[in-house]
Amino acid sequence: MRHPGRMGIFFTGAAAVAALYALSAIRLPGPEDVRGEYMRIINGECVTFRHVTDAVTAVNFDFRGFDTLGEEFILFVSVMGTLVLLRQTDAKPGAWAPDALSPGRAVGASDALRVWILAMTGPTVLFGIYTVIHGQLTPGGGFQGGVILATAPLLLYLAESFDVFRRITSHRYLEIVEAVGAGAYGVIGLLALFRGREFMANIFHLGKGGNDINLFSGGTIPVINAAVGIEVTAGFVLLLYAFLQEMLERKEAGS
Amino acid sequence: MWFPPLPVVIPLIVAASLVAIGAYLPRRVLDLVACATAASVFAICCHLVAASADQPIVYWFGGWRPEHRFALGICFVIDQAGAGLAALVSLLVLAAFLFSWQYFESVKSLYHALMLVFLAGMCGMCLTGDLFNLFVWFELMSASGVALCGYKSEEFGPLQGALNFAILNTLGAYLSLTGVAIVYASVGALNFAQASASLAAHDPGGWLVPIAFLFVISGFLVKAAAFPFHFWLADAHAVAPTPVCILFSGVMVELGLYAAARVYWSVFAIPLAAHSSVTGALFLTIGTLTVIVGGIECFSQRHLKRLLAFSTISHTGVMFLGVGLLSADGLGGTAIYLLGHGLVKGGLFICAGILLHRFRSVDEFELHGKGRELPWTGLLLLLGALGLAGMPPFATFFGEGQLADSARRHGLGWVSGVMMLSGILTSAAVLRIGGRIFLGWGLRRPFDSDEAPAIPMESETHGGHRNTPGTMWLPALALIAGAMAVALAPSVRIAALRAAHRMEDTRGVTDHVLLGTPMAAVPEVHIAPALGELWKPAVNVACAALLALAALFPRALGRARRAVVHAIERAIHPLRAMHTGRVGDYVAWFILGVGVYGAMLVFGYRR
Repeated sequence: MRHPGRMGIFFTGAAAVAALYALSAIRLPGPEDVRGEYMRIINGECVTFRHVTDAVTAVNFDFRGFDTLGEEFILFVSVMGTLVLLRQTDAKPGAWAPDALSPGRAVGASDALRVWILAMTGPTVLFGIYTVIHGQLTPGGGFQGGVILATAPLLLYLAESFDVFRRITSHRYLEIVEAVGAGAYGVIGLLALFRGREFMANIFHLGKGGNDINLFSGGTIPVINAAVGIEVTAGFVLLLYAFLQEMLERKEAGS
Repeated sequence: MWFPPLPVVIPLIVAASLVAIGAYLPRRVLDLVACATAASVFAICCHLVAASADQPIVYWFGGWRPEHRFALGICFVIDQAGAGLAALVSLLVLAAFLFSWQYFESVKSLYHALMLVFLAGMCGMCLTGDLFNLFVWFELMSASGVALCGYKSEEFGPLQGALNFAILNTLGAYLSLTGVAIVYASVGALNFAQASASLAAHDPGGWLVPIAFLFVISGFLVKAAAFPFHFWLADAHAVAPTPVCILFSGVMVELGLYAAARVYWSVFAIPLAAHSSVTGALFLTIGTLTVIVGGIECFSQRHLKRLLAFSTISHTGVMFLGVGLLSADGLGGTAIYLLGHGLVKGGLFICAGILLHRFRSVDEFELHGKGRELPWTGLLLLLGALGLAGMPPFATFFGEGQLADSARRHGLGWVSGVMMLSGILTSAAVLRIGGRIFLGWGLRRPFDSDEAPAIPMESETHGGHRNTPGTMWLPALALIAGAMAVALAPSVRIAALRAAHRMEDTRGVTDHVLLGTPMAAVPEVHIAPALGELWKPAVNVACAALLALAALFPRALGRARRAVVHAIERAIHPLRAMHTGRVGDYVAWFILGVGVYGAMLVFGYRR
């Protein structure tokens, strides 16, 4: 199709879809009138009955934990799918790879930047772990913390070289870790069946007495949260690894 | 109650284990584990079909039962329609695994894992009773489908096909999610039953409900390859590995249709009850356009996998027509038809795979006469063509008869004419390609055509094999024989109609889910008399055979030849011109389609 024709079709359709959206949105309740029964109930229940203070994590890993199982596997197959799709051999030679990119050499950071990055790597790991394990208490959790953790090796790549990155993120192990993280979610859900409860029922010890809320309270919530953190970390490192590898191969094919 | 979550959970856990340790296992162990998983999911789904005969099974994950009609958690609502479809899904996955036993020479655990996740996503879609949960499994199915589609991504073609698939389906999913968000913002509920009850109790007014409905189903319409959202499908099928095609055509496309119908009957049927004629007209329009476009495109293909893909599009159109009747007997007919079509199409794709295995090509002209060595494959292909034409005893015959009967009683007799068109065009295409490949009839070179867009089929299999292993022809035989046998017993047809009645009883399901009230007994169902319809498949097959012969031996048309060919080409040209292979064009058609269908709803509902 010629360009103007396509644009004409697209903008006609887009205008119609925008009009449809507007027609439906004007009927939504206003800001003072939010349909928030779910919000109120969850906020009441998550502290009293689940011993956690982050309602989002409680919804993700308990009330609607079955959704999150699916979402975790969406991430899982997306990573695997990207690895599958990136295996192409007819890579076009180095059209895009930045100049400083080569396996053995640093990216070209100045000494000041390297020192700063190396100093920051440890705190980044610590912050990632903190974000994961405080998931049920404060905003954060396995998904968010996992992404933070995955940036730590990337920092090393920026400061040092791809070889360093590769050494600490060996491919084979990462796939295993990712699979264990993803599978553990399903297995924890399955455990409830052996106790005669429904799948994903929170069967672990929730906490002592009324308001006992700490790093271990919440029963299965912190455990699932940790599994998700492991899966997300490994998945994102795998992705970064695959993309960097791809760029380097293109660079090599080009030079 | 152990079983409800297992069709989703077992394949997911096995898939994760295969990724973890699959690299250390021999290929045959991987195949065995995968087959055993699919078979056990099939057994569980069959059990669920039996267990939900009396009342639908409602399963609250995490034990979060609704309080005061308010759902805190997620539930599966398993009725016979959903469980039956999940059984079909797992059966086809099993067939695909059997077929790939000898098919892929080099395949790693990633393939088995992706297929199992694909299975889990499809089962989740069949069984769920929650809008967002439906979306999650839909996305899981899409994500693993894209990866499987591009599995042979050493070439450019598969990558392109997979990318078109990913982009179109992601766009559709965005709109679906927008629709879900509108529903949630409006009534604060995601559970099918609760959303339906709330929307009916507090009508937001204006066009909110119909537009939310259209947005929610847009993603499913893309998956169902409804016109004009169907372009990605043929590209994806042409490049996807054959075992994956079995699932794409046999069930994934149909799941898009199922999700649209499920969402309509579970959530929107009561809020939109006053305007059901408009909703029906929307589905009937989509169905008619899809039947015609798919059928014509199907007949004009020379690449067997693309041809079968377009045939799927045309048959999905038939199913849209069935859903568009908005009645229990229409829906029941659709279910029977879907069952028959899924099995037949799976068998046909295996035939295409056998050709690839032996000759490394599925091109009609390249294979001219080569199929003489494979008489049995040719016979299966012929049977498949008859199944597409709706010949008894195929389930498609009984499904189409039920649909025609239902259409007549709704004063929509023309619908059965459109359905016949689909049968004629698609079976003519398969007969023509079969005649050329297996009998060596007709020309060796395309008539009046100098373009030769032969699509190379590399690396999937080395081709040139001397014989066809039993793990290939047995599944094909089983699927085609199954399509012939499955609806022969009236009890199966009655069960399908009863399942459709249950699916349509929105109020009954809502109370059953939220309050635990048992559903009322299904009224007496009447299956359409099949014998009176026998002239239809006869006409279908006669027309298809004539059409195929005319395409094979254009000289026999004599002087009229030039005029006929020109007329046909003029009719086909605009359709083929739309099919550019460029994803930007597909996106433009998608947006326009949503806009036009939305305008239909808005203007229709005002009246």
